[in-house]
Amino acid sequence: MAVRPATIAVPARAHPTFAPWTAVARFVRKKPLGAAGGALMLLMLVTALFADILQTHDPIATNAAYTLGRPNLEHLLGTDHLGRDIYSRIVHGARVSLVVGVASTLLGSVLGGIVGLLSGYVGGKTDLITQRVLDILQGLPLLVLALVMSAALGPSVQNVVIAISIPIVPRAARVIRASVLSIREMQYIEAARSLGVQHLRIAFRHILPNTIGPFIVLCTAQLGSAILVEATLSYLGLGVPEPYPSWGRMLSVSAAEYAQKAPHLVLFPGLAISLAVFASNLLGDALRDTLDPRLRGS
Amino acid sequence: MKTYIVQRLAIALLTLLGMSIVIFALLRLAPGDIVDILFSTAGYISDSEKQAIMKELGIDRPYVVQYLDWLHQIVTGDLGKSYRYDLPAWEVIRPLVPVTLELAALSMIFAVLMGVPTGVVSAVRQDTALDYALRVFSLAGLSMPAFWLGMVIILGLVSWFAWIPPITYVSPAKDLKLHAIQFLLPALAVGYRSSALIMRITRSSLLEVMREDYIRTAWAKGQTGRIVIWRHALKNALLPVVTVIGIEFAFLIGGLVVTETVFNLPGVARFLVQAILWRDYPVVQNLVMFTAIVVILSNLIVDMLYGVLDPRVRYGG
Amino acid sequence: MSRSRALRLSTMLGFVVVALTLVMPVQGQTPKSGGTLNIMLREDLSQGFAIHESSTISTVFPAAPCFNNLVQFDPAKPIESTDTIVGDLAEKWSWQDNYRNLVFFLRKNVKWHDGQPFTSKDVKFTFDLLREGPDAPAKLRINPRKDWYSNVEAVEAPDAFTVVFRLKRPQPSLLSMLASGYTPIYAAHIPPANYRTSCIGTGPYKVKEWRKGEYLDYVKNPDYFIKGRPYLDALHYVVIVERGTRTAALQAGQLDVAFPGETTKAAAEQLKKAVPQLVITPVGTAVTDNIIMNGKKPPFDSMKVRLAVSYAIDRRGLIQAVHQGAAVLGAAMAPKPYGVWGMSEKDLLTLPGYGKPADMKDKARKLLAEAGITAQHPLKVEMVTRAIPLYVDMASFVINELKQVGIEASLKQIETAQWHAVATRGEYQIGANLTGLGVDDPDANLYENYACGSPRNYSFYCDEHVMKMIDQQSQELDPKRRLGIVVAIQKKLEADAARPMLDHRIDYFTVWPHVKNLVPHHNIYNFARMQDVWSDK
Repeated sequence: MAVRPATIAVPARAHPTFAPWTAVARFVRKKPLGAAGGALMLLMLVTALFADILQTHDPIATNAAYTLGRPNLEHLLGTDHLGRDIYSRIVHGARVSLVVGVASTLLGSVLGGIVGLLSGYVGGKTDLITQRVLDILQGLPLLVLALVMSAALGPSVQNVVIAISIPIVPRAARVIRASVLSIREMQYIEAARSLGVQHLRIAFRHILPNTIGPFIVLCTAQLGSAILVEATLSYLGLGVPEPYPSWGRMLSVSAAEYAQKAPHLVLFPGLAISLAVFASNLLGDALRDTLDPRLRGS
Repeated sequence: MKTYIVQRLAIALLTLLGMSIVIFALLRLAPGDIVDILFSTAGYISDSEKQAIMKELGIDRPYVVQYLDWLHQIVTGDLGKSYRYDLPAWEVIRPLVPVTLELAALSMIFAVLMGVPTGVVSAVRQDTALDYALRVFSLAGLSMPAFWLGMVIILGLVSWFAWIPPITYVSPAKDLKLHAIQFLLPALAVGYRSSALIMRITRSSLLEVMREDYIRTAWAKGQTGRIVIWRHALKNALLPVVTVIGIEFAFLIGGLVVTETVFNLPGVARFLVQAILWRDYPVVQNLVMFTAIVVILSNLIVDMLYGVLDPRVRYGG
Repeated sequence: MSRSRALRLSTMLGFVVVALTLVMPVQGQTPKSGGTLNIMLREDLSQGFAIHESSTISTVFPAAPCFNNLVQFDPAKPIESTDTIVGDLAEKWSWQDNYRNLVFFLRKNVKWHDGQPFTSKDVKFTFDLLREGPDAPAKLRINPRKDWYSNVEAVEAPDAFTVVFRLKRPQPSLLSMLASGYTPIYAAHIPPANYRTSCIGTGPYKVKEWRKGEYLDYVKNPDYFIKGRPYLDALHYVVIVERGTRTAALQAGQLDVAFPGETTKAAAEQLKKAVPQLVITPVGTAVTDNIIMNGKKPPFDSMKVRLAVSYAIDRRGLIQAVHQGAAVLGAAMAPKPYGVWGMSEKDLLTLPGYGKPADMKDKARKLLAEAGITAQHPLKVEMVTRAIPLYVDMASFVINELKQVGIEASLKQIETAQWHAVATRGEYQIGANLTGLGVDDPDANLYENYACGSPRNYSFYCDEHVMKMIDQQSQELDPKRRLGIVVAIQKKLEADAARPMLDHRIDYFTVWPHVKNLVPHHNIYNFARMQDVWSDK
């Protein structure tokens, strides 16, 4: 949205007082959907952290005697075509999805944020050139870019994180830059400059804190997208390699093959992905409404 | 207005040039090339034969030379030869383009048809149960992996109805009804996902506009509520929606790739994935440039529309 | 005659007719002409119709209807051996001079699809091309089976319908290799490169249209040299990359024939449940799962460690877990009834790794302990495999087995483009591999995979004694004695853990009931001509 600059209510002080628990309580009351999303995300985080405790079986242990088993007391969500416990694999898959999702989102957003901050603040020719470069990155379809990067870098967790983070950079830079532009012209910034305060200091002490809001919103929005891209890459065979269980890979070839005999093979991993992305989207929407009511339009 | 257009075109051209460098470099970064893949289908590898084939295809030349050669080809309208099929790339891609364009267009239509009305209803009935339900439904579409949705649809069809849409492409000229059936489901699947964003923007944009003073004035003047909404609010709310439709087009490609694969539609997106796996440089480069041009063009058109709809833009640059 | 007598006569006649129909064999059904078959392809043809420049079923299966061989394995018999070889373009043939010369007498009145006559010139051209003879008029860009003809001294065409293969030494296997689906005859007047985009063959079907990435259409060749064949009017091969969609299409009847080697047991059960009338035939595939270990670098240069790996893997468990039982035990050559050179069940049980799993794993741990590897000091290695689910599942199982004896392997998936380079150059430690054989013949298998210096000997296994035995069996004319040598070779290969064999895969080949006379062979590459197939629709 190149035209309408987002206007943000600029606080009198750069760092407003923040009482965490009352803020959370208010959030839950006013935005129940967002709170539900947040709770789901928390559940996912807990699952990922305590996967080793929550699992009922070793996620990579095969069991020839009980392949494509229906869900029962021993195997809560059934077993796959190699006899591996689906519940345990989904629990560990949360780890992969979360780690890859969060890491790539943070990596892309922080990088993009820095680029956007500097580009927006410095302005002029630097800004123009940076914008064009970002245009280039953004113009390439997200999946294609991730695909080529994944093929280029080879399958490994780090490389998948890098591959997914790259398309996020231009989007993050755009958002941060827009918010920087709106603050830059503010009176107190001009005042600080006329007082001789160094540019870098202004950038990081005054402008940066006010971009936190849009940054958080951006991160939660991109997290959902990152999880989806990771799932798609895994499904195409280019995501995190074995033996890490990945929700996307659980859905690839073998699952589709046996889906009629054992629909739980296809349903549960897909539901897991959908729920995770759904939760992060809900949370992101609610955060956006709370932190930046006037940004709702963009 | 003229300088504005020329300016934008010049910038667009530069952007395209940059993109060409990026895609060219990225492809060469990926390990293995067409010759390695040819040998893999032959089940062995021979370094001397490899050299000969690389020379035949021209990929043993320095990268800069290959890049300039490619640019030269584009400018002269020659889209190069597919390494895999030994045929002009355009000849291989040409029958695929209408399929993808049709799927993309149909998906966009469904997206707008699903997204705009739900967005309006949601905005008008803000914070009611209906609003929540619609928002959840729409968000669900955005959260489901496109390939999973397609898979579940096909599996559901074959399990419950012992039927799936035709797996060989039926051209509209041959059998319009069958063709429509073939495209309906995948277009709905892709459209459902795109509709989410459109619904959201419509809703928030409409909410914002409805708060504006002049709407309140029109209301006070006594015109019936519905006409107020439709006439004044929607027209202004449409601006960001139009922008989003343009942006969504670029995101569409991702959804098209998996949908074309799952529903077995012979489109450009599905072919692109195969071409990447085969390191068929000319095909991938030209296809990606093609999508880039489409995206940039659509952004340009959207910007133009903006310029027409919002006079503030034209002279601000 | 009286009415009651007439009635009795007609009832008797009725009984006779009914009895006759019950007694008549099912094959008594007369083939109908006409119809089209929709056939599954799991990916597009990789090098078009250039079978001589490729080694994948994705080229051979859809390209076969365009061609003919000199000789072929009888399409009607599932087992392939020298006893089932019948003529194709050759009417008669005979070995001469103690299996040193092979003479073929070719059919007359055979035409290429462009009308040109077929003569011995085409045969000479094809084999000079393949063996890269000194005065070969053309050269293949890629020649994967050059070594099949390393023993051919010269190919002569004394007259228009006679061809003589002169060998450097006796080699009975040559005939079997000529019968493989990998050995069609090219036209001398067509540049070999053309076969990558189109096909001029002598076969029962002519290429009508190849829509890249989408489908391949054939029409009946009206001038085919066997009158009355082919029965079908057309063949329609459809490319479906997505596995779930493929199976769904077969189930919904949009495809009549499955792709060879692609139907697992579980999928077959699912299909049978949904469509009970489907005809499902379990067949051998000539595809094996095996473990390659880099014998040039530690730790697998130590035979103890290699043997330990072989002992550690519960092959029966793998067959059950990874294939749901759709595979059989076997050493380097396929066991009966899928092949004629394999080892008997009794002999197999003596090989390392075929006993009781618990005992075998104990043995593995002992061997590793001798090499200094224990649970306290585990061996950490990287296992490579192709980034294809078929490979990955097998590798996952093997990794789990190795874990139990103290070898911790992490899995690295290698993309197709790099797999053969990695394997050929030995840039790996241990790998989970699949090997497909074009023909159930010891020469084709042993030279390619176990000969010193062979590019596809990924384990770099080199044993002089074994090489002597391989050369010996190649020239052995007595079939019984030859079998003895081949069995001895297989025993030695397993004892040295050269390339531990895990299993021979079985395919549950599926067709709809109206598809008649398509008999799958115990080799996915050799039954694709579709010459005698007809449709009862």
